[in-house]
Amino acid sequence: MTAAWAIYRKELRVYLVSPLATVFLAAFLFLAGMFFYLGVTMTGEASLRIMMGNLSVALMFLLPMLTMRHFAEEQRSGTLELLMTAPIPLWALLLGKWAATVTLCFMLLIGTLLFPAILAYYGDPDWGVIATSYLGLALCCIGFVAAGMFASSLTDEPITAGIVGVLMLLPFWIAGTAAEMVESDAVRRVLRELSLTAHVEGFARGVVDSADVIWFGLFTFSFLFLTWRSVESRRWR
Amino acid sequence: MIEAIQLSKSFGSFTAVDSVSFDIGPGQIVGFIGPNGAGKTTTMRMLTGFIPATSGRATIGGHDVFEQPMAVRRAIGYLPETPPLYGELSIGEYLAFIAEVREVPRGERLIRIGDVMDRVGLSGMEHRLLGSLSKGYRQRVGLAQAIIHNPRVLILDEPTSGLDPRQMLGIRRFIRNLAEDRTVILSTHILSEVEALADRVIVIDGGVIRADAPIDEIIHGSGDGVRFRVELLGGDATGIARAVGALDAVSLVEPVGQVAGAFAFDVRAGRDPRTAIAGLAIREGWEVRAMERHAPDLEEAFLELVGVEA
Repeated sequence: MTAAWAIYRKELRVYLVSPLATVFLAAFLFLAGMFFYLGVTMTGEASLRIMMGNLSVALMFLLPMLTMRHFAEEQRSGTLELLMTAPIPLWALLLGKWAATVTLCFMLLIGTLLFPAILAYYGDPDWGVIATSYLGLALCCIGFVAAGMFASSLTDEPITAGIVGVLMLLPFWIAGTAAEMVESDAVRRVLRELSLTAHVEGFARGVVDSADVIWFGLFTFSFLFLTWRSVESRRWR
Repeated sequence: MIEAIQLSKSFGSFTAVDSVSFDIGPGQIVGFIGPNGAGKTTTMRMLTGFIPATSGRATIGGHDVFEQPMAVRRAIGYLPETPPLYGELSIGEYLAFIAEVREVPRGERLIRIGDVMDRVGLSGMEHRLLGSLSKGYRQRVGLAQAIIHNPRVLILDEPTSGLDPRQMLGIRRFIRNLAEDRTVILSTHILSEVEALADRVIVIDGGVIRADAPIDEIIHGSGDGVRFRVELLGGDATGIARAVGALDAVSLVEPVGQVAGAFAFDVRAGRDPRTAIAGLAIREGWEVRAMERHAPDLEEAFLELVGVEA
């Protein structure tokens, strides 16, 4: 646990001193502000529904940029050799890295609290829906970070890792739309289950379905497990 | 302390390390030398457990590298070929991170960090960013991270690469001091480094161990007997070579060429042949221009072992 904690603090430190996090924060807040403005002016509602829906898609494209360095950069600069020859269990390495990026994401989400504050000033938003929307976004972050880490463990080129990460997440976005287009019922059901949009919808409407929470849990766990296997096996190549 | 048994590593059809075996006792400093691409780094990576061996096994302090990786990782300090640094961190932050993951007790960390920084010559630089350091300083930080937890076994992959001669001397002195109560294996392709540091040399080439012996033995054990350089003026080359070769003490005559009109050749001899050659020259009326014992060095022994003409 000491090792995981040390890795966690090291990763956060590296994030905070590198320009990446600042640029990322700026881009994210800019997008959030735009979605907020469009959402409120188009619907005339004091709700974050439009902003939240769009942000979950934006995260899908942006988060792999935060995770792309995790293993790719460590491999390229030789620091992976340091970590893999120090008494750090692999799970501690994964946990520390994952938790650090998730923490950074939560900081971003906290930054967007400005928008509900604006709503509260001018109108009377439904705080329950806002809370569940944030829970949905938080779950997206947790899962996307795991997927991005897996992408990063596949290559030693950070940029490639970023692109692979996006490509890996895209099918989960498209699955919902694809489900409406297929003929077969069985395939449609599978695609709906895989669909990310189907699982964030509930949160945006103020409904917390334990099935959705479990879905994100499984999503995260599966990608962390794949990352573990991938880091373990790259030593054999 | 460090043992390799029939250790092999193949990458696809390429065999980088082929059945390497050695046993390094506690307190020894062993130089691991060979040309670039000989398999030094691959062997060291297998010893640390970073890459698994294709076949064979290795133990460190009695722990099997593949079966008890955590025990091995705790016992070793390792400097990889390129110092593994995070450019965004300062020296102080980096060493604090290493001390923590290397399980230095919390109360001792600051003292240890200060101590290793003094020892590698980084005092007062804890706020410098690693990304802004020159090669020499990067190497020092690399060494500092390898020793911060006071390991019993040090595995150093080219510890002085990229350093200027003065820095090299400093780092060598430092490694010498370290070695008093530790087992050190260090790889290099700089021969003088091994001569200056190691008790024992393992020569590796093409993934195969070519020699494993104390330095003196490697230097003197090469070839048959001691070598002498002789230059004689007077007779014809063939005649001289035949006459000298016929002497009792001489086992081999190797012509070198003409040096300022004199016939120059190397003589291999079991015992000193100079008196006999001088006597022969007087009888034949040759003039002795030069006759000296050729002091062998590691470089020659090495080149001979790896099969390159000296």
